[in-house]
Amino acid sequence: MLRKSLHLGITGVLVVTLAGGAANGLSAQDDANPYDAGVDVRAGEGIFERHCSRCHGMNATGGETGPDLSTGRFRHASTDAGLFSVINRGVPDTEMRAFRRARSDQDVWQLVAYLRSLSGGPRVEVPGDPANGERLYQDKGGCTSCHMIDGAGGLSGPDLSTIGERRSPEDLLSDLVEPDERVMPRWWRMRVVHRDGTPVAGLRMNEGTYSVRILDEDNRLWSFQKRDLRESERIETSSMPSYAGELSDDELTDLVAYLYGLIRDEEG
Amino acid sequence: MIAAAKERGIEMSKFMALSSLLLFAAPLSALQGPGEDPRPGATTRAAPSFSPVTAERLVNSDAEPQNWLMYSGNYSSQRYSGLDQIHVRNVDQLQMQWAHQLRILDRSETTPLVVDGVMYVTEAPATVIALDAATGTRYWRYEHEMPEDLNYCCGRNNRGVAVLGNRLFMSTLDAHLVALDARTGNLLWDVEVAKEESGYSKTAAPLVVGDKVITGIAGGEFGIRGFIDAYYAKTGELAWRLYTVPGPGEPGNDTWAGDSWRTGGAATWMTGSYDPELNLLYWGTGNPAPDWNGDVRLGDNLYSDAALAIDPDTGELKWYFQFTPHDVHDWDATQIPILADSRFDGEERKLMLWPNRNAWFYVLDRETGEFLTGKPYARQSWASGLDKEGHPIRVPGTFPSIEGNTVSPSIGGGSNWWSPSYSPRTDLLYVNAYDGETTYYIRDEEYIEGERYTAGGGETPLPADKYKSAIRAISPQSGDMVWEYPIQPRSSAGVLSTAGDLVFSGTPDGYFFALDALTGAEKWYVNLGSRVHSAPMSYMVDGKQYVAIAAGNVLFTFALNE
Repeated sequence: MLRKSLHLGITGVLVVTLAGGAANGLSAQDDANPYDAGVDVRAGEGIFERHCSRCHGMNATGGETGPDLSTGRFRHASTDAGLFSVINRGVPDTEMRAFRRARSDQDVWQLVAYLRSLSGGPRVEVPGDPANGERLYQDKGGCTSCHMIDGAGGLSGPDLSTIGERRSPEDLLSDLVEPDERVMPRWWRMRVVHRDGTPVAGLRMNEGTYSVRILDEDNRLWSFQKRDLRESERIETSSMPSYAGELSDDELTDLVAYLYGLIRDEEG
Repeated sequence: MIAAAKERGIEMSKFMALSSLLLFAAPLSALQGPGEDPRPGATTRAAPSFSPVTAERLVNSDAEPQNWLMYSGNYSSQRYSGLDQIHVRNVDQLQMQWAHQLRILDRSETTPLVVDGVMYVTEAPATVIALDAATGTRYWRYEHEMPEDLNYCCGRNNRGVAVLGNRLFMSTLDAHLVALDARTGNLLWDVEVAKEESGYSKTAAPLVVGDKVITGIAGGEFGIRGFIDAYYAKTGELAWRLYTVPGPGEPGNDTWAGDSWRTGGAATWMTGSYDPELNLLYWGTGNPAPDWNGDVRLGDNLYSDAALAIDPDTGELKWYFQFTPHDVHDWDATQIPILADSRFDGEERKLMLWPNRNAWFYVLDRETGEFLTGKPYARQSWASGLDKEGHPIRVPGTFPSIEGNTVSPSIGGGSNWWSPSYSPRTDLLYVNAYDGETTYYIRDEEYIEGERYTAGGGETPLPADKYKSAIRAISPQSGDMVWEYPIQPRSSAGVLSTAGDLVFSGTPDGYFFALDALTGAEKWYVNLGSRVHSAPMSYMVDGKQYVAIAAGNVLFTFALNE
C-alpha cells in the first residue's frame, strides 16, 4: 500500500495521463509516443521477443504467420498511435490478436518504439522535387565527391544508397545544414606525422589502444602504430560543409526529397 | 562382425605396444639428475599432477606461487603472483605457449585455477575443463545439464571454480552449486541454491573457507532477495544463509519502505575474500531492486551496495559499510574486496581497498569497518564529497528521470566486477577505470516473479570513443593516482600484478599487455584478436612461469622460451 502511493506520488502525472489515454483508447491516437528513448527500444525488443516473435520472427522480419514489421511500412497503421491501437486491439479476422499480456500502456508504446527503431520512423509525404534534388546532388552540391550511391561516388562520407530508411526528413535537413551536430566516430578524421616526417591526413577508419588506420584524401589506406607517430590529432567535426548558405530553402527541400526517397526496392 | 573384431584386435595390439613404450619411457625421464634446474617447481623426476588441496594450503597459498588455488589468487584477493621469472627486463621476450579453444561461443570471463600442473577452466554456461597446464591438453570435461530457457541478466557466463581436497565447486547459471571430483570430473553432489524460475542465477567462483563452500547469488535485475550461503564441502548441506536484505524484525529492515524488502535485490554475484587471522569473510553486495526507480523502496536499502564482514563459521554479520545508500544508478558494490596490510597515518593497519562502481575509491579498516579515506578514481558527478563516516554527499538533481538525466559514472561504473590488483611490493592498487557517463531513465514497472524488475535504464549520450578508459595505479595511503595507462575504448578486463614488478591486463580491441608496475611504462603487448573480458593469472609448471588470459573464446598462455 505504502509502496503504491509513494510510487504514484512521484510519477503520478505521467501515469495518470497515459492511463486516461488507454481507458478510452482515443486520446492515444493523438499522442506521440512518450516512450521512445533507447531504453524503451530495448525494453520493447524484450517484449517483442517474448510475445510477438513466434509469428513475426525473432527480428520482426516476418515469420510463418506474421508479416515483416521491420520495413517501416505497415498494412494496418501508419502513425505511432495507429500502431499502438493495432497492438492493443488486434486486427479482426486475422491471427493478430489484441496484446493482452501488456502490463501497461508503457509496454505497448515500447513495442511501438522497438518497431520504429527497425526503420527510420514512419514513412511520411515530403514536399519538394526529388528529380531536381538529384541534379543538385550530382552537380551544385558536389555530393558525389564524398558519398556513394549504388556503387558510384566517393568514399570519404557515408554510403547513401538507402539513407532514406535510416533518417527522417528532419534528420536529413539537419545533416545538411548542421553537419557537425552528429558526426559518428567512423567519420572523424586524423592528422598524423610519422616519425620519418611523413604527414598523413584523412578518415579515421579505426583507432585502438596501440594503432590507428586512416583512409587518406587519395583513398589510400594507412596503418600506424601510435608509438611511431611524432604528432597525432583527432578531428571530431565533419568534413562536410554546411549547405545552409550554399543552397536555397527550396533547393534544400528538393535535396531532402531526393535523399529521403533513397530506400531499398520493395521486393528487395 | 569379423572385420570389426579384427579391427578391435589391431587396436588392442597398438594399445599394448604403446603401453610397453610408456612403461619403458617413464624410468628414462626419471633418470635425469636432480638439481639441474634451480627454478622453483622445476620437475627433476616424474611426479603425478594434482594433490589434494587442504584448507591449510588455501590459507598458506602464498607459499606455493606455482599454483593459483582460488579465483583471486589468495584469500586477500590481491590477484598478485609471487612468481618473478617473467620480469620487467625480459617480458618483451614472452611467447605464446598454447591456446585452448572454448567450445561454446560466448565471451569468456573465466579465471582458471592451477593445482600442481592441472588447470581448471570454466566455459559458458556451466562447464569445467581440466587441462594439462603445461601443454593445454585435456584430462576431462564436465557439462552441467540445465533448462534451455533461463532467466538471467548480463551474460551467459561462468567465472571459475573453487577447490578443496579432491573436489571442485562450481556455480551454475540455473542457480545450482555442484561438487565435482577434481581428478575425473565426476559429479559428487548438486544442490539448488535458489529457484532459477524466480530470476536467480549464479556465475561467480565460490570461495572455500575451512570445510565450507561460500557462494553468492545473482539476479539483482529480477527483484530477488539476495543472500550469501555456506555449504558443507563434504555433503552439500546448507551450513548457514545470510540474507543481504533483512527481514521484518531484523536490524535494517526499516531502511526499506513497506514491503519493498521482499524484492530488494542486493545480489552477491561476485566472489568474496577472507582474513584467516581475524576469521572474517568479506563480501560485496549489489544494487537494490528495482535498479533505477528508488521511489518504490524509499530508505537507505541496507545492505545493498555494501561491504559485509561475516563470521564464516556462523554467517553472523560482524560489520557493514554501505558505499551508496539508496542507490538509483545500478552501482553494485560487488567488486572483489582487496585486503592489504599497509601503513595508514603512520600505523600498520589491516586495510580493505575498494575502487567502487560509484567511481570512489575507499580505504576501510577491515577489522572494524571504519572508514579511513575516500577519493574519486574515475569521472563522477553525483557526490560532492564523502563525510567523515564515508557517506556520500549527493549532488542534487542526479537521480534518473522520465526524460533522462545524464550523470557520471556510467551504468557500468568507474569500475565493475573486473578484478583490480594490489602488489605488496609496490604498495599500489591497480584498477581498470572508466571515465564515462549515462543518461539515466526511470520507468514504471510492477514486480512479477521471474521477470525483469529494473524500472528504467540508461543510454550513453555520446559515442563510446568520446570517453576514457585507463589502468590507474592508486596509493592506498592517499587515494591519489600515481600513474595511468590509457586504453581505448572502454575496457572490461581485470588486472594481475606480479613479483616481477609487472602489471598485466587487456583491452577491448583484443590486446594483452604488460606494464612496469612502478611507473606504468608499456613493456609488451600482443593482439589476441578479440576482446579481453577476463582477468589474467599466473602459474608455474616444470620450472616455467606462465601467464594465462582468456580473450574472445580462447584461453592463451604465455611464457619465456628456453
